Amino acid sequence: MATQHVPTANGTAMNGATSLVKSLEAAGVDVMFGLPGGAILPAYDPIFDSTIRHILVRHEQGAGHAATGYAQVTGRAGVCIATSGPGATNLVTPLMDAQMDSVPVVAITGQVPSAAIGTDAFQEADIRGITMPFTKHNFLVTKAEDIPRAIAEAFHIATSGRPGPVLVDIAKDALQAQTTYNWPAKIELAGYNPRITPDNQSIADAAALIAQSKKPVFYVGGGVIKANAHKELAQLVELLGAPVVTTLMARGAFPDSHPLHLGMPGMHGTVAAVTALQKADLLITLGARFDDRVTGKLSTFAVNAKVIHADIDPAEIHKNKFADVPVVGDLRETISALIPALKAALAKSQPNLTPWNASMQKLKSTYPLGYTLPEDGSLSPQAVIERIGKISGAETIFTSGVGQHQMWASQFISYEHPRTWLNSGGAGTMGYGVPAAMGAKVAAPDTTVWAIDGDGCFQMTNQELVTCALNNIPIKVAIINNESLGMVRQWQTLFYDGRYSNTSLESKRVPNFPMLAEAMGCVGLSCERPEDLDATIEKAMSINDQPVVVDFRVHRDAMVWPMVAAGTSNDEIMIARATAPDWDSQEL
Amino acid sequence: MSIHTLEVLVENEPGVLARVSGLFARRAYNIDTLVVGPTSNPEVSKMVIQVNLEGHSLEQVIAQLDKLISVISIEELVEGVKKPVKDTQPDYQN
Repeated sequence: MATQHVPTANGTAMNGATSLVKSLEAAGVDVMFGLPGGAILPAYDPIFDSTIRHILVRHEQGAGHAATGYAQVTGRAGVCIATSGPGATNLVTPLMDAQMDSVPVVAITGQVPSAAIGTDAFQEADIRGITMPFTKHNFLVTKAEDIPRAIAEAFHIATSGRPGPVLVDIAKDALQAQTTYNWPAKIELAGYNPRITPDNQSIADAAALIAQSKKPVFYVGGGVIKANAHKELAQLVELLGAPVVTTLMARGAFPDSHPLHLGMPGMHGTVAAVTALQKADLLITLGARFDDRVTGKLSTFAVNAKVIHADIDPAEIHKNKFADVPVVGDLRETISALIPALKAALAKSQPNLTPWNASMQKLKSTYPLGYTLPEDGSLSPQAVIERIGKISGAETIFTSGVGQHQMWASQFISYEHPRTWLNSGGAGTMGYGVPAAMGAKVAAPDTTVWAIDGDGCFQMTNQELVTCALNNIPIKVAIINNESLGMVRQWQTLFYDGRYSNTSLESKRVPNFPMLAEAMGCVGLSCERPEDLDATIEKAMSINDQPVVVDFRVHRDAMVWPMVAAGTSNDEIMIARATAPDWDSQEL
Repeated sequence: MSIHTLEVLVENEPGVLARVSGLFARRAYNIDTLVVGPTSNPEVSKMVIQVNLEGHSLEQVIAQLDKLISVISIEELVEGVKKPVKDTQPDYQN
């Protein structure tokens, strides 16, 4: 049960639409992203008078990803609003995306009048049915008096426990009907009571296991960021002095500059991070979920490791990998409890981690992330991303699309703080970058926000740059233009004998990205030569009153390395094409 | 034995059968039989689900089922005897 502040408007007569807006205000919403239409139109009238800033997007998908970006920066629920039918279905991708990455989003959709539901009415879509598989929960509200409770429950569900998206579909007649506003003083959901505090026994078991281990590694996932547990994590790592890997969703949860940080594990992880998981005798898993992109072929993943699995979601325990010690609870509470327990355990027996740390440090120094510059002197995509990271600094928030540029942005930008790296990890949604950057910039207007995008991704959602230009949301977009669906092309190079079926976008010819940017009210820049790189980035950094788009015209054939090919074992990691690490020279 | 019988109390609300059956379908859990009926509480319905695990763990099926907000409680029926699922409270409450 959660108790809530009761607003003074309680007991006032109003229509359902006004009660919706009052409810959103009571839930603490300060901004929402949306686009009106017939069924949701009654709600847009009170929105006109509300203190909530409504940002009119150009496509509902943009609203959904913007809400996600906003939520990932603030930790609060992001809100998007759309009309029935196609408006609602355009939210499907962002809701699926938010579910896969556990992002708190509340989506409000209009529905046809309740009497028309089920008649195939104009712009009718069963959005509750459609979104059931990938929302944490959803509602169909057909009575005005049910609106405040549905909104209150939606925000409670979205932001508590394992966060996730919640959709509230409201019939038009419920918005139009007269009602008495009644924001609930408490929320009681018989079937929902997430466990926050871990049980003492599991904490004690975890501490005992850690104290016995000689090759432990912290396998850190996005849950650490969701739980705001990065400070506690740093203390725990310092206490044990064991290596750390941060997954794609956890970049920034632990500073990249820390010596114990081995980087990102997984399909495009560092040799040290991948090997640490493979060779460990204990995985201290914190808010990670053994995703296939991390484990590679599961049957060969970390075969000699015992597993501590701390997660707020009990369904993650044993889902992909058996956990010797499951710890269910909020990660901040879990790590806070683990620190004194581990101190006590270490006081009894202090394991010698020196050989393990030394071998991991040797791997880290032998196989650092790197890239070779194109022989023809053209612009290197990795260099572009690395320089943007260096020049814009550690306080910058980065978003990305999905593909090669996303992996390079994860690899070659140094993340020092949580909530500075926003990407579509689980869903792999191309087009996430620009609208998520919009949401991030609205959440943190004084922070530089760069979208590192691909030329393919950019062409999916760039219409939101119009929204940015008109609403004073000066994001910066780096298009890593290799005129290809680069990651797919990489797979075609490696696994389809270089047969490039439908991956050439020709985006160095069409569209003209700088002109497209200018047409949308942004500044458009272009860079093709390595010698112009820093000056172009600095020029983009100097423009803060308009969105900026830079077309970085890069070499086409660069590939993402290291790589564990899909479905193969992490033991088969390649540092370049047909090149494995020199395992014989390593003692593990 | 891969066939288990679960008694699931759910919120009596439109769409709840779709939530449960959809979960089973998308996670490739096999339903042998499913019966839905009322309880003495008009706000609560009872589902009796016979699930054929076929490689899935009962624990995982229950954990996923319990993630549905509309699912209030889950008990395993063993030869007509109600057996609370091991450790249901509070580990399986999310």
